[in-house]
Amino acid sequence: MAVLARTAEEWDGAAVRRFTRRATAARADTRWWTRLGDLTSGLTSAAIAVAVGGGLVSGLQEQIAARPPVPAAVLPGGLTATAVAVAVAAGLVALFARLGPVSATPGVAAWWLPLPAGRRALLRGELRRGLGLAAAVAVGVALPVALTATRTLGGVLTGLVAGGLLAVVAVGALVVRQAGSGTRWVPAAAGGVVAATLVLPPVVGCLAAAAGARVAWPAGPALPWGAAAALLLVLGAGAVLAVVRADRRLEQLSAAALRASGETVQYATASVFSLDTREIGRALRSPVRRPRRALHGRWVRRAEHAVVAGDLAVLARSPWRWGQLAVGAALPVLAARTQGLGELPALVAVAVVLGWWTAATAVGEPSRRASSAPGADRSLPLAAEVVVRCRAVVPVAVLAVVLGVSALLVGQGAGSPVAWLALGVAAAPAWAGAAVRAGYRPDLDWSGPVVSSPMGALPTGVGATLVRGPDVGVLGTVPVGLALLLGAVPWWLVAVQLGWSAALAAFAVLTSGQPD
Amino acid sequence: MTDEPLVATDGLSVGYGGEPVCAPVSLAMLPGTAVGLVGPNGAGKSTVLQTMVGLLPALAGTVTFAGQPVDERSADFRRAVAGVLDDDAFFPSLTGAEHLLLTARAHGVVDAEQVVADELAAFGLTERAGALPSALSSGQRRRLALAGALVRPARLLVLDEPERRLDTVMRRALADRLAALVAAGATVLFASHDPAFLDTLADAVLVVGDDECRLVEPADAVAELRED
Repeated sequence: MAVLARTAEEWDGAAVRRFTRRATAARADTRWWTRLGDLTSGLTSAAIAVAVGGGLVSGLQEQIAARPPVPAAVLPGGLTATAVAVAVAAGLVALFARLGPVSATPGVAAWWLPLPAGRRALLRGELRRGLGLAAAVAVGVALPVALTATRTLGGVLTGLVAGGLLAVVAVGALVVRQAGSGTRWVPAAAGGVVAATLVLPPVVGCLAAAAGARVAWPAGPALPWGAAAALLLVLGAGAVLAVVRADRRLEQLSAAALRASGETVQYATASVFSLDTREIGRALRSPVRRPRRALHGRWVRRAEHAVVAGDLAVLARSPWRWGQLAVGAALPVLAARTQGLGELPALVAVAVVLGWWTAATAVGEPSRRASSAPGADRSLPLAAEVVVRCRAVVPVAVLAVVLGVSALLVGQGAGSPVAWLALGVAAAPAWAGAAVRAGYRPDLDWSGPVVSSPMGALPTGVGATLVRGPDVGVLGTVPVGLALLLGAVPWWLVAVQLGWSAALAAFAVLTSGQPD
Repeated sequence: MTDEPLVATDGLSVGYGGEPVCAPVSLAMLPGTAVGLVGPNGAGKSTVLQTMVGLLPALAGTVTFAGQPVDERSADFRRAVAGVLDDDAFFPSLTGAEHLLLTARAHGVVDAEQVVADELAAFGLTERAGALPSALSSGQRRRLALAGALVRPARLLVLDEPERRLDTVMRRALADRLAALVAAGATVLFASHDPAFLDTLADAVLVVGDDECRLVEPADAVAELRED
């Protein structure tokens, strides 16, 4: 150490990377035919995914074209596809910001970052990986949009390349921010974009439908060859600029930021491999900030009230969840108002399930927290099953409003608005039960026997555990699906929905926290 | 020895999410001295150490190294400062010897292979030199991490509870070795719960607390620790 001599030559980042790579390769199977096999397998999987995705979109387009138009479906398909693509892209930006985009594994943080070697050379591989991943994901997201907008091969390819280049620009810009003032604000801003792009179009659609008008959207004529080339040229130049700037800023990345991102990546990766969706949420959650106002809870008189007050505080202090509730209410409306989608009750029903599950996930936050850290609940003078029952109160109340409004707007122009509102409110107990059931879902048991799968060994009963929660919600939405098929809501159906929903909620709450 | 402090803090407030974990720290360490940090678990010793080497941002106050604000993004700073703060992270596919060789070569150590071999011997790891971290015991991994800090040149050594997971003989050997390095001009900043370690190594002890962080004589700190 202090008394050790130095030579004139320290290793630079490239030499450090080379040494680590060679030492790792000495213990890994890096024969060329193994790599070729991996590459072939990856390319085949991607090609199958593209073919299946393209076939599905194409088939749907044909089905939609064969259906008679619905007057309330006033949003052009291109607008909805663009809105969804923008929302997905914003979600991915938020995800990349939470994960770095450049991060350091614990080994890198402990053994590379303290070295005098320049970080630019050390972290260049990480940057390449991030850019490549972003570009690949963007191509996947751009595919359905490109297929919706154009049927020509040139048009589709232009859309895919443009999507990939945009992703490179976005990740490059994120790295520049990461090395500067940080990306802490990015997930919140991107979340705002997601909410806005998914909530505004249905609002506009409902207003237009009420006025008996249709929303205009450019029909998307084929882009002339020259214009497409110019667009790609501009995006390519932007991507090159972003990569160069990001590469230069790698030197400025702090060990603290790299370690924090690395811990998030490690946590999220472990959650993915253990198939625990709740843990993924925890891993990617933004750090909790100190609340501006303390919880007074003057109305709290009994232990049951304390549970409800705590749950309200958790939701009130999670702006991210409010956005999630808005998106959850808007998704089914977006499908119902969109030309093409609105004509297919099955597709609207799928959107209803997706949207309402999104909303239920938001109000399930207190249950998930209580399940992972049960200490506070155990300190209450209440039996565990009573605590679980109390934990359903806030979800029922919040979802009654969210689902009621959502159903009211979905049913616009299809019979009695009051009946649609009542139908949504009546579905709330089932989805509240789903939220609680999913929150208190037992962890996967990896200690028992495993079954072989294309994804590797999985514990037996993995499917039953993962659908615990959404299962109740989907069953509880069956009457809503029937109403969508009928195109109206008879009052007897509201009564059936209420009874069915209450029964499912009771089942979900009574069995939460217990093994199957 | 110079009168210019190598490391100095002035009203340094440390913590997380804007919340300080202990009272502000004001400290000046001359080259060739050793300062021990003591305090109960959770007092903020590790947070102070991490902030002083730039791994955590300071909430308030300043921390300087060789007269310059601490910036771990500077290669010169990393060249001069070695630390063992997060000791259980390794490359899963590099052996213990390769971890040390990587560190020594990246720091331009002369005759790196021999230095690594000596360091492995000093920490009783010669027999396990070719083992991957996953095949090492918790104590062996700890010794490997400490060897990583000593296999390279440094003006300042920052160690968080270096005695942790070491047996009595190894603790004494490490304390003696660090004391010899301090005598040769190195500066050591460390947190410890071990009275014998403090007694052997520390020139001064910083008691970290909620209300006040104060410097005391090592003998007083050692006596207090032995009473506890």
